[in-house]
Amino acid sequence: MPKIEVHTGRFFELLGDTYTDDQLEEILPAAKAELDGRDDEQGILKIELNDTNRPDLWSAAGLARQLRVNQGAQAPFYDFFSTDLEQFECEDRVVEVDQSTTGIRPYIVAFAVSGKAVDEASLKDLIQTQEKLCWNFGRKRRSIAMGVYRSDLITYPVQYAAVDPDTTSFIPLQMDLPMTLRQILKDHPKGQEFGHIVADLPRFPFLQDANGQVLSFPPVINSAEIGAVQIGDEQLFIELTGTVLKDLILAASIVSCDLADQGFTILPVKVVYPYETEFGREIVCPYYFQEPVSADLSYVNSLLGEELSADQSLEALRRMGIYAIADEQKLFVTIPEYRNDFLHPVDVVEDVMIGHGLGRFEPVMPRDYTVGRLTSAELFARKVKDIMIGLGFQEMMYNYLGSRKDYIEKMHVDGAEYIQIANPMTENYEYVRASIMPSLLNSESVSGNAVYPHRIFEVGKVAFLEPSDNSGTVTRNALGFFSSDSAIGFNEINSELAALLFYLNRAYSLREVQDPRFIEGRAGEIIIDGVRVGIFGEVHPAVLESWGIGMPSVMCEMDLDLVMAL
Amino acid sequence: MDIDVKSLHPLEIRILRHVTRGEQITAERMIDELDYKLGQCNQAFSWLMGKGLLEETRRETRVYYELTELGHMQAEVGLPGERMFNLLKEHVAHSLPEMAKALNLEQRDIGSAFGELSKAGVFGMDEQKKAILKSDALPDTYQVIKQLILRAQEHSLCETDLDEDEQRVIGSISKKRGASMVPFKIVEREEVVYALTAAGAAVQGQLEAAGVTGDELGALTPAMLAGGSWKDKSFRSYSVASPPGRVLLGRRNPYGEYLQWVKDKLTTLGFEEFDGPLVETEFWNGDALFMPQFHSARDIHDVYYVNNASHAREIEQPYLDQVAAVHENGWTTGSRGWGYEFDHEFTRRQVMRSQGTVLSAKTLPKAKIPGKYFGVARCFRYDQVDATHGADFYQTEGIVLGEDVNLKTLLGLLKMFAEEVAGAEEVKYVPGYFPFTEPSIEVHIKHPILGWFELGGSGIFRPEVTKAMGIDVPVLAWGLGIDRMALMHLGLNDLRELFTPDIESVRTRRGK
Repeated sequence: MPKIEVHTGRFFELLGDTYTDDQLEEILPAAKAELDGRDDEQGILKIELNDTNRPDLWSAAGLARQLRVNQGAQAPFYDFFSTDLEQFECEDRVVEVDQSTTGIRPYIVAFAVSGKAVDEASLKDLIQTQEKLCWNFGRKRRSIAMGVYRSDLITYPVQYAAVDPDTTSFIPLQMDLPMTLRQILKDHPKGQEFGHIVADLPRFPFLQDANGQVLSFPPVINSAEIGAVQIGDEQLFIELTGTVLKDLILAASIVSCDLADQGFTILPVKVVYPYETEFGREIVCPYYFQEPVSADLSYVNSLLGEELSADQSLEALRRMGIYAIADEQKLFVTIPEYRNDFLHPVDVVEDVMIGHGLGRFEPVMPRDYTVGRLTSAELFARKVKDIMIGLGFQEMMYNYLGSRKDYIEKMHVDGAEYIQIANPMTENYEYVRASIMPSLLNSESVSGNAVYPHRIFEVGKVAFLEPSDNSGTVTRNALGFFSSDSAIGFNEINSELAALLFYLNRAYSLREVQDPRFIEGRAGEIIIDGVRVGIFGEVHPAVLESWGIGMPSVMCEMDLDLVMAL
Repeated sequence: MDIDVKSLHPLEIRILRHVTRGEQITAERMIDELDYKLGQCNQAFSWLMGKGLLEETRRETRVYYELTELGHMQAEVGLPGERMFNLLKEHVAHSLPEMAKALNLEQRDIGSAFGELSKAGVFGMDEQKKAILKSDALPDTYQVIKQLILRAQEHSLCETDLDEDEQRVIGSISKKRGASMVPFKIVEREEVVYALTAAGAAVQGQLEAAGVTGDELGALTPAMLAGGSWKDKSFRSYSVASPPGRVLLGRRNPYGEYLQWVKDKLTTLGFEEFDGPLVETEFWNGDALFMPQFHSARDIHDVYYVNNASHAREIEQPYLDQVAAVHENGWTTGSRGWGYEFDHEFTRRQVMRSQGTVLSAKTLPKAKIPGKYFGVARCFRYDQVDATHGADFYQTEGIVLGEDVNLKTLLGLLKMFAEEVAGAEEVKYVPGYFPFTEPSIEVHIKHPILGWFELGGSGIFRPEVTKAMGIDVPVLAWGLGIDRMALMHLGLNDLRELFTPDIESVRTRRGK
């Protein structure tokens, strides 16, 4: 979930009123937002945004717009959007895309800003918007990277091309000397962080102006001169490069609306492609591409369980900043420029719900009669647990992830059937347990101070490799039990096993087995109807030694799914 | 001093009832008069001293003679010289080796006894070198030794109890250490003399008044019942309020008990339980839930990938084709889809199940309508393990399918959970976000102790989710934050504690 920090004063300015924390908590849910904290010293509010499909809310201006409108204010009107029918005049503000960017980082969109000096609050908000958009919405700059420049230093047309990383060089931000693009990947902090996005490409994306002055090496780093925006700058050039054209245009729309809300003038920029895109060879941004969405009023009402009139629905949508009309019980919705999250008529339903006010819907108990039921595995597990408790065992519950050391090495087994995690956070959680026995021994190893005898069991899941299954693995319900005491041995656990299976009403036989976990000649396989369902015996002293256990121990493990089925 | 006479042990009571004030009280006396063992005396004295009922008046060292192993043997079969005398009395002459064989004695014991008694004029040697009797009686010392041995069989002999003659005789057949060759060993013992204190005398009076003698019955035995011996005796009163011993019992894990309570609660509310494997495909873990394969919404779920069973062989049809089409263009769901090319390799990739909703989606194709389902599913997240994050944990999730299902019944369902499962006093709903539900609702409850907190998330499954699974009715999907309530129930504040391996911690843990 994205978290943002907003300048309290600027935020209230944008909201048109000041609010207490309690009042904020009242109004924030309309934007699926929560107050996460407050830093009065720095004059900052921390806000968490829960909707990962609403990047327009991840800025002070965007969030304030949603809340302001929801409180009854008029939705702003943006007059700078071009459409497929009508493009604004861009004068000399043109970006020329070179054929070489095909297959490298094919799309770029841009616009320019003027009319007002950037102050600290708006610059911070702009940088935060850039970070959140590129990180959360732009897949950590992979699909969207955004650059902001001092446009008074730029001579149009800007050139976007893919260049040789070893022969192209410029002075990046935070450096004093020119570096090649390849060097930046290796030595610049941003190169180390984002270089992997382009590292394997034959040529790297590169942005310079008509005079060969470098703007940036997207998606990695801006140049130290044109790309170093400061407080007081009045002319900005903003570009976004990436792989998904619609997302780039949407991101440009979000940023331009935010800036317009703060009083900046938005100037269109034309991007000229040498190839066709889904919006043609020339795209003037900010650009409105959204298609209208329609939803039957009856559909809205059936999902909400309410009888809203067309007018009530339109009013609800208006409070979400959405312009809509109704015609014959059908709602026609014009999507705001800064949103693209209407995939299905159901998305209209939610905006009607929030706009109408969730508190106005009365809870109704579901009336359908259904029969409650536990799984047969759960019922069988309960039976097993009851018997184990009757036998004097304490039920334990364990984690299902563990280390190679615990699950395999200390058990003296080869662990061939163990499922391994490809991306473990630490080696402590690298394997999925294929047996309950290591969990039980781990318990014993940390419980030397607990009064003896120790008698513990767990009914839980194990999972292991099973090539015959479609997934190559199986998950089973299993029982493991364990006892330790100064005088304990095979006879005790043999009797307990006999009692358990007697009360589970299963006839079984035993077969001596050699297993490194148990003392030879004191371990048996449990056979039901010819099927091996488990193993038990006296724990081998070498295993006890590996676990640092100083008490004689016996243990048993059984596949409950097999026992239940037989 | 005020003493509960019930707290006195019978060994103490019998001493208190036996002695009078001013008397010297010693272990020796109690051994003689009350038939105590030395250990019992020491125990009783130390208890009585501790309670201030006895006081020590003086202590002195005394010499005692105790039988050695040899001494005990001689008490049984007689002294070697005595046995030789009796043998020769019956069969006139024997060589020394013959006697050793007949009496099963060592040659040197025979030799020394023969030498000693020859000197005393009892034995002699004939011309065939055979031993013969020269007198018809053993010397007096033999009688003294025999008497001493027999007396020592009863209890050890105190030096002060022996006359001069006895002291001289016993001195010649005793050793302090390494006494295997002689019948007596010398033991020096410190003897303490006690006296009854004023408090002791008071308690004595209490005992007399209560008629407690110390001979009351302790544990009732089968023999007492069989013989009826209990009938003319009384039972010793126990100190009922004294702290009990510990019992180690078999019992449920309190966290498991809580989860079982939740399961039972949900079944009584008409929900049917579902379950599934720990390893899932990306298809079920995300694609079927309409989470775009490369969208940031999947950042919410940082998942564990399986290394050595990295891909499932195939994905169930027709669901694979339907879900792929939904992602690409919305299929027939009325959605425009995500508009990207669905990755058929990626969808087979296997992960550790990261959310319980996976099982809700998998239940859809076989669900009854109307139907209610739930599951308590172990899930795995790529998270730093700390007090609020486990590497694996339980999620409680479920669905409700029906023609009449809508936002208002969703609110009703959440209200029911809040009241029935969480015991909430107040309920608040706020819009939420989940990639697979629209609308989405979070339910917050006011708990008597914790105050307001988020009980769970819910919503109506998007048509992109349900239609691809062949379901045409609306489906409510919900998840409850059970662990938070479990921690509260168990008085814990660290999620890691729920799966602790520590036996003592689980043994002593109780629910509220």
